[in-house]
Amino acid sequence: MTLVSNLINGISLGSVYAIIALGYTMVYGIAKMLNFAHGDVIMVGAYISYVSTASLNVPPLLSVVIAMAVCTVLGILIEGLAYRPLRKASSLAVLITAIGVSYLLQNAALLIWGSTPISFASVVPFDSVSLFGGKLVITAESIVTVAVSIVIMVLLNLFTKKGKMGKAMRAVSEDKDAAQLMGINTNATISMTFAIGSALAAVAGVLLCSAYPMLTPTTGSMPGIKAFTAAVFGGIGSIPGAMLGGIMLGVIEIFATSYISSELSNAILFAILIIVLLVKPTGLLGKAVKEKV
Amino acid sequence: MLKVEGINVYYGNIHALKDVSLEVNSDEIVALIGANGAGKSTTLKTISGLMRSKTGSITLMGEDISRTDAHKLVSKGLAHVPEGRRIFLQMTVQENLEMGAYTQPAYLKQGIKDVFERFPRLKHRKNQIAGTLSGGEQQMLAIGRALMSRPKLLMLDEPSMGLAPILVQQIFDIIKELHDTGTTILLVEQNAEMALRIADRAYVLESGRITVSGTGRELAQSDSIKKAYLGG
Repeated sequence: MTLVSNLINGISLGSVYAIIALGYTMVYGIAKMLNFAHGDVIMVGAYISYVSTASLNVPPLLSVVIAMAVCTVLGILIEGLAYRPLRKASSLAVLITAIGVSYLLQNAALLIWGSTPISFASVVPFDSVSLFGGKLVITAESIVTVAVSIVIMVLLNLFTKKGKMGKAMRAVSEDKDAAQLMGINTNATISMTFAIGSALAAVAGVLLCSAYPMLTPTTGSMPGIKAFTAAVFGGIGSIPGAMLGGIMLGVIEIFATSYISSELSNAILFAILIIVLLVKPTGLLGKAVKEKV
Repeated sequence: MLKVEGINVYYGNIHALKDVSLEVNSDEIVALIGANGAGKSTTLKTISGLMRSKTGSITLMGEDISRTDAHKLVSKGLAHVPEGRRIFLQMTVQENLEMGAYTQPAYLKQGIKDVFERFPRLKHRKNQIAGTLSGGEQQMLAIGRALMSRPKLLMLDEPSMGLAPILVQQIFDIIKELHDTGTTILLVEQNAEMALRIADRAYVLESGRITVSGTGRELAQSDSIKKAYLGG
């Protein structure tokens, strides 16, 4: 039973990574940049949800919506103020800026909310499910997290495959100049991608803190890095890849923690990543499309 | 239809276009010929807003467009088939055409019908990923995609590049046909012979400067042009 329970915990944690990884991968796909501040948007989302419920007495579900709205605006602002002026700059300059934005968000949170860890009240109103006479307990947070990530995945897939804006997003991520020649406003499309990614980050933040209820200004950085790893693992730029990479990462992490060593779990995680990238440099589902002449 | 006056374009320190002026009248085919690196593609990119000129003006149907964003020019009737086709290789043929009609959603259905009628080979490959098409098919898709925006002025950059002679002939037939159905065309070509044969007028670009202009026939018969671009 512990095996099943570990598997469920792994999938649940992995689902959170997957939702964060979607933001990384979509932004990378379209703007060809690694938005290292993405992890910190998670933290902001969690704080906003916390403040809404604890100080403003907003119902938990509504607090998630508020967190998503705030993070959407935050994502658009970050892109517009920090990254857009660097559209033609070297990728190194953009990378440094992203790290700067990450620290800016962490320090702003430190200034506003202080460094004392906040115990986050779960937004999931259900009880745990107990199976096999109490031998297997599945927390409501796990179920909700997995369900939410599946819904997000399906909606995003529909959006990018069928929606006009979604198709435009794919066009921009493949060839910005050609997309402009179709009449697509590339800046608006990039902005929208940041908005979607950041709204998802807010959801991930709330789910993460509901399952692991300790919130500090640096809460987002480790999950952010792991989700980035998940995105690379699955094949950066690929939406199903981010999902698969996230879930695999979560399962590996939980298994490594419970069967090998909790101290070594991150080392094992990254060792596996390195091996996968050695064998398949484009990640599990990443593909290199060759141009025909 | 299109008037370019005294544009100067730079890539960093490189002065790519020097006081280039040209004009395309309604219902004309105008060819822009020249050697590799003469600035032909840069000229088209500047007209379509992907690059900016430091001086001069670009007027499309009476409106100054020299500072207009590229994506806003499509609905003003300008379509640009860029060098190397630049179709969306990871999207299907159908999706590529949909992107072409991004600014013309009302025309989408009819447009796809029209394109498939003109290029029946694309119809069979409707759901195929564009990256798997042959070079000729990709060129047809690139032209078809541009037609989806119902352009008044169609700019084609090296449409014959990398194609077998029989396909080159086919592409030029299509250009003539488009012209006959009322599309004005600005054609950039290295294949000067073919270009001058169908062009009403032509300009020769040499190291960023327009050196000669005249009717297609005049240029095709000029000794210096023959020597430089038509293989003697």
